[in-house]
Amino acid sequence: MMKAGPSQEDIRRHNLGTLLRFVHLRGPASRATLAESLGLNRSTIMALTSDLTAAGLVREELPRGPGRRAGRPSLVVRPESTRVYVLAFEVGVDRLVVARVGLGGVILDRREGTRARDSDPSDLLGMLVAGARSLVRKAERDAVCVGAALGFPGTVRRSDDMIMFGPNLDVGDLRLGDALSRRLGLGIPVSVCNDANLGALAEHERGAGVNCDNLIYLHGDVGVGGGIIAHGRLLGGDEGFGGEIGHMIVNPGGRQCACGSKGCLEAEVGERTLLAHAGREEPSDKAGRDAVRDVVDAADRGDIVAREALHRVGTWLGLGVANLVNVFNPGLVIFGGTLRDIYLGAAAQIRSVLATGALDAPREKVRLRTAALGDDTTLVGAAEFAFAEVLSDPLQVLARLRNVDVASPSASGR
Amino acid sequence: MNAGDAWEPAARASGPQALPYGPAAPSGPADPPFPDGAARVSRPANAADTLTAHDRSARGDAARWEPLGMAVTPVLDLRGIDKSFGSVKVLHDIAFSAYPGEVTALVGDNGAGKTTLVKCIGGIHPPDAGEYRFEGRPVRLGSPRDAAALGIEVVHQDLALCENLDIVQNLFLGRERRRGIALDESGMEELARRTLSGLSVRTMGSVRQKISTLSGGQRQTVAIARAVLWDSKLVVLDEPAAALGVAQTQQVLEIVRRLADKGLAVVLISHNMNDVFAVSDRIAALYLGRMVAQVRTADVTHRQVVELITSGVSGDLGLRR
Repeated sequence: MMKAGPSQEDIRRHNLGTLLRFVHLRGPASRATLAESLGLNRSTIMALTSDLTAAGLVREELPRGPGRRAGRPSLVVRPESTRVYVLAFEVGVDRLVVARVGLGGVILDRREGTRARDSDPSDLLGMLVAGARSLVRKAERDAVCVGAALGFPGTVRRSDDMIMFGPNLDVGDLRLGDALSRRLGLGIPVSVCNDANLGALAEHERGAGVNCDNLIYLHGDVGVGGGIIAHGRLLGGDEGFGGEIGHMIVNPGGRQCACGSKGCLEAEVGERTLLAHAGREEPSDKAGRDAVRDVVDAADRGDIVAREALHRVGTWLGLGVANLVNVFNPGLVIFGGTLRDIYLGAAAQIRSVLATGALDAPREKVRLRTAALGDDTTLVGAAEFAFAEVLSDPLQVLARLRNVDVASPSASGR
Repeated sequence: MNAGDAWEPAARASGPQALPYGPAAPSGPADPPFPDGAARVSRPANAADTLTAHDRSARGDAARWEPLGMAVTPVLDLRGIDKSFGSVKVLHDIAFSAYPGEVTALVGDNGAGKTTLVKCIGGIHPPDAGEYRFEGRPVRLGSPRDAAALGIEVVHQDLALCENLDIVQNLFLGRERRRGIALDESGMEELARRTLSGLSVRTMGSVRQKISTLSGGQRQTVAIARAVLWDSKLVVLDEPAAALGVAQTQQVLEIVRRLADKGLAVVLISHNMNDVFAVSDRIAALYLGRMVAQVRTADVTHRQVVELITSGVSGDLGLRR
């Protein structure tokens, strides 16, 4: 039997989501621009924007600043960044970040904390909850939280957000997303995703990969994570574990990896290895990114031990990238986290290995770039992930959340 | 109905697997009873699969550039350039091209002629002989102003900024905008701000700060911003990362890369092989006043480039002896 075509209601919902997504990703746009870009006529745009305005998702105003032209100016549709927000969590091995991100991708406010490498999962949860609560308290009275997502450095099962394995950060069998959602009590679920997968999404939506639908994002923290975007979609594999580039074996029988195997990319280019090569593994007051940056800095100033360390790490990284280029033929490979520093400090070696190690055809057009979002790739990715629901069905989601609001004592009265 | 064309070509072509929405999806793209041409962006139902590419065509025109294709006309094409200062022959039969959307790194040892070549490109020294083509047309440059009029901007090693003036004044120095008889201060300020944010520079505070209050990296950024303010087509950067710390070098390199990704042709002079390999698409090596090779960065190794710089030859690349 043929399925029925979409109903009027489906189409309206779809168009609302599309329009909202446009101003969310591309920023304020005039009605005329929207009409042209979405291929809808102006009266439809007007109906859609007035629905979204009534729901408090966008507002319309006269264009600002110079650039006057003849005729009546087209109203500019802006996302209501301060009134509609999500909570984005980034859990790193050493640092925790919680941010309140407004519609349109504006980071409105953020809290950062450090995490001791041997601390307890319950401490982690407590810190995240405290950070998020203080952000929610600072939000405007009538602001509504429409989603939350958390980036975690480990493999996460897609079906139930269960953290299966975090070689550098063990949370036991704690269901982080559910626990957070319960403790926050905002009536929204907290999704948990792999941090590098979120980074790939972020760079694809808002960063270096905006025009590229086949890209690979490599994220360096203590370990190395990866996210693969193929045909504009994240490659998750059967259960969402895909993209674990850090555990691709590049050096059989090489250095011991935290995953139990030997010679994984992570074991050969991770933070501990770089610091060990540079003779800096022993207790220093700096950890994580700062320690890696110190090595790059020293190499730049001529320290031969640091140079040699970067050279060795660059060789393995180049080999890893060569394999990825051969297998996936990406248009773009993006280095984020500490790998950004390592790429810029060892690019000659990485590209030399790539030039000799990868096939000519896929290598020819691949571009190597650093993450345009800097240290916020995971955070931005988490925010984008959290916005997904409201962007797919703006009015319904908002109505539901406002109802929760009204039921709770802190009713906004709208 | 051309709604989908502007927004998501894939939704139309990929049929049932690109469910536009929810479980009650339409059977096929051929018969959409959309009243007003619904904007078709496929939204996956499963949140974990979300955040796809929605709007390839609406997203930008980057695909227009075919950066590495040989069919693209080089923005700058020099052939047979000679330059002598008195009896000292500095450049000999130089061929050099710079392509839109690419960073071309110009490398060479001290005294190889890099800076002289840059000055020939920027109209400071007229070449003694040879052909200078800009966007395919032969041109003659008599002065730096001619070069600027064509859309060529050079950021010199010493940056040439005025310490006692603020950022906006520096950006527009000698080319101030007027409104009537007065200067269009607000217009210039707005454009300065837009240019800096276009370079994704967030670290700069007010655009009315004096240059003397800025750090080395920030000054370099202002100098680059001045070069791109004028819809330039070719930007030449002479050692932009010299004398900068690592963090600032990284920032400048990323700006250089972004310029090219916007479609400009960028020529980068650098001594640091990591910088060259990190951002360039092509490498042009000068050796004692001769252009020994112009190769694609993806095709060469560090060792080969070092050999070209130091001996003018590497394997079958470089000078024939």
